[in-house]
Amino acid sequence: MTLLLEVKNLKKIYATRFGNVQVQALANVNFSAEAGEYIAIMGESGSGKTTLLNILASLDKPTGGEVLLDGQSTFQIPEGRLAAFRRDKLGFVFQDFNLLDTFSLKDNILLPLVLSGMEYKEMLGRLGPIAQKLGLTDILEKFPYEVSGGQKQRCAVARALITSPRLILADEPTGALDSHSADGLLALFREINAAGQTVLMVTHSVKAASNAGRVLFLRDGEIFHQLYRGRRSNEEMFGLISDTLTAMATGGERHA
Amino acid sequence: MRKTAFYPRLAAQNIRRNKQFYFPFLLTCITTTALFYILCFLTFNQGMNVMYGGSILQSLLGLGCVVIALFSTVFLFYTNSFLMKRRQKELGLYNILGMGKSHIIRFLFFETLFSFLISLLLGLALGILFSKLMLLLLCRLVSFGVPFGFELSTQGLIYSSALFSGIFLLILLSNFLRIQLSKPIELLQGGNVGEREPKTKWLPAILGLLSLAGGYWLALTTEDPVQAMALFFVAVLLVIIGTYLLFTASSIAILKGLKGRAGYYYKTRHFIPVSGMIYRMKQNAVGLANICILVTMVLVMVSGTICLYLGAEDSLSTRFPREITLSVGNPTGNARQVLTEAAGQAVAGSGLEMENIQDYLSLGLYCTRQGDAFTILNPNESDFIYTVFLSASEYEGLSGQSASLTAGEALGLVNMQPLGESFSFLNKEYKIVRRLQDFSATRQVSLATRDFCLFVVTDQAFAEILDDISERRDSPVWHLAFDIEGSPEQKLACRQAVDDAIAKALNQGAEHNSGSYDYARIESRESNRQETYALYGGFLFLGLFLGLVFLIATVLIIYYKQLSEGYEDKERFEIMQKVGLSRREIKQAIHSQILIVFFLPLAMAVIHIAFAFKMITKLLLLLNLSNTALFAYCTLGTIALFALIYGLVYILTARVYYKLVS
Repeated sequence: MTLLLEVKNLKKIYATRFGNVQVQALANVNFSAEAGEYIAIMGESGSGKTTLLNILASLDKPTGGEVLLDGQSTFQIPEGRLAAFRRDKLGFVFQDFNLLDTFSLKDNILLPLVLSGMEYKEMLGRLGPIAQKLGLTDILEKFPYEVSGGQKQRCAVARALITSPRLILADEPTGALDSHSADGLLALFREINAAGQTVLMVTHSVKAASNAGRVLFLRDGEIFHQLYRGRRSNEEMFGLISDTLTAMATGGERHA
Repeated sequence: MRKTAFYPRLAAQNIRRNKQFYFPFLLTCITTTALFYILCFLTFNQGMNVMYGGSILQSLLGLGCVVIALFSTVFLFYTNSFLMKRRQKELGLYNILGMGKSHIIRFLFFETLFSFLISLLLGLALGILFSKLMLLLLCRLVSFGVPFGFELSTQGLIYSSALFSGIFLLILLSNFLRIQLSKPIELLQGGNVGEREPKTKWLPAILGLLSLAGGYWLALTTEDPVQAMALFFVAVLLVIIGTYLLFTASSIAILKGLKGRAGYYYKTRHFIPVSGMIYRMKQNAVGLANICILVTMVLVMVSGTICLYLGAEDSLSTRFPREITLSVGNPTGNARQVLTEAAGQAVAGSGLEMENIQDYLSLGLYCTRQGDAFTILNPNESDFIYTVFLSASEYEGLSGQSASLTAGEALGLVNMQPLGESFSFLNKEYKIVRRLQDFSATRQVSLATRDFCLFVVTDQAFAEILDDISERRDSPVWHLAFDIEGSPEQKLACRQAVDDAIAKALNQGAEHNSGSYDYARIESRESNRQETYALYGGFLFLGLFLGLVFLIATVLIIYYKQLSEGYEDKERFEIMQKVGLSRREIKQAIHSQILIVFFLPLAMAVIHIAFAFKMITKLLLLLNLSNTALFAYCTLGTIALFALIYGLVYILTARVYYKLVS
């Protein structure tokens, strides 16, 4: 397996406007991901999950450390090429979908391709199979406000997949969904992961995390612990994760 | 904290916290109050009443007051509704946090009261401060002497207070109603109602284009000034309807058409702007149409009034080819000689000299024409041709050229469909031997009237015509027109002297006089100049004044538009950034959208004016202004100045917008 993502000594300190108070969001984060992995990052509110994700997405810059994607440091990419980099290498799935109201589902999915300046015919060629796989074919012409939350999130996944990115970053993707839709979405993630897509998901849902191949636990800006699935079933993973969270909450020792 | 002070305090705090919205609103209120006071002040100014032409001016200004009062009401109402829409979320939050509607109403009452007091007091103070300055400006424009002293206008104070109390009361009531009728959850969601993509409405889209085309067609094809006057308002109405429909329906039809063309739509450069514009047009179409019409109005008004004012001398010399014109009806015997002498003496007595004398007798009749046959018209019939007859000797005296006519021959000047080789009048046939091109004595008539003919016939024929019509009330008129050089006061005194001399001339020493006349009329360019300047200066002042008010309105509408759109677009652009749009690309997308939204109304207004140009020159012709070049310059100058101001406003508001979005 090839190494896809390396995170080294990542630090992020937020300073208030006048620099009096400093908040450390990330203290020292190290981990790496291989191509084809399905990783969940868990942690409570304030543990630094979102900061980490924003830095991985190159939407934010760290105070120290580096992120390598395919061996290339993302912080050395000039501002002008950053957007194109994000568009081509990364796919995003957000808790609140982040679909544009002014576009139909089809146009929302095609947005990254249009921004890359792709030919319309080629776009359609890519859209067909993805829409088919995600069950969106019949509702492509509808607008976000006309479809259910599950459908919106599937549309967002389709938008993330259409550029064939190296890495999919998901931020609480099940957070705004009912349990039925959430199950469907998690199944979908497993499926695309089985097809070789690398997925990195940030969540505090034990159920969502129990689908992943590896679970990282973040506390106070550090990787506190990690769990490998190995040959465990989802239910076994669920139990293990719950136990770990309980241990973290009651002040267990660091394992990672 | 005492309980009674809670609501006023909360209200004051709200105004401060919402200053982004409140500040421009208050500024508008203050400015409109000040402007209204100033206009009232001028309308009821005692000093102006006594000026020559002052009453015309004051009735004009009174009209302006009414326009501003109406406009302020509508406009402040509109601004307030915008303000409230933006604040719905805040009010909903208060409601959910446990404030009853009655509590909200209570602090809304104080907010309105405070804004009312602030705008009235500051507005009146500003108005009083600038009223003298405006009076000076106005007096200069209408060439009045400047009244001294500084005064307060009680009427101005009363009317302004009454008007704005009324407006704010209306605003308060509408706000109460809005709160009463709303549900908290609706308030909380505020502007965040799911936007539906607008549907293409073909019928209004096509109607809009047709209406606009109809208005333009009318403006382009109307040749006759009098007809232009009547059709102008029809054209304006058609264009206004067309503009509204065009912005609301046609624009969406066009954008949707663009969206339907996949090859065009799915391009980086078109994708975001086209889809964004569809929604913008849905929300803003009426606002943009309003701006477009306001801008057109300002441009037409300002350029028209500037042109009238600058062209006042032109139109005076068109209307009055000579400084003093004496017209005497049906002079008989030696009346012509006696009156000429009397006038000469009067002019000499005033220490001036007659120059460029025009002295001729002519017969003017209203006729109808069938082919080449002319018939005298009965009074009350409308479709006439003004026909002037001159005898050969009068023509020779006037033009210094020999007419060389023999019996049955005539010279002709026609400004409508050309004549054949001859024409008939009162059963006599005249052969036209020569056509005259331009004849200065007839210029004044030929401008304003649609159809005009001039015929020069032999002395014999002229006498016969006079005989033939002796039964009728029509009679020949003798004109004595001349210039004099001197100061305005001298000219006015001279006119008075001539007037007096003519009145006495035939009575004194009646035994020597065999003459008589029906009436004598004296027209003086100088005395008309004062009236003209009072009128045109008043027009100009009002044009500039109302132009300023409309400009302020336009600027404010634009500002609010940018503000509200900035809030809505913020989220959208955040998403796009996450999906992979660079900061630069976002800026470009924003830029092209604002640019279109901003300059579309201006561009449309300029197009309207380009089409209206011909029709407006015709209307100016009715006011004796034939200087098309001057009007063109005035229009271009006004457009340039307006575009400059508009551009500045754009830069300022675009900055606010960028700040909101990024």
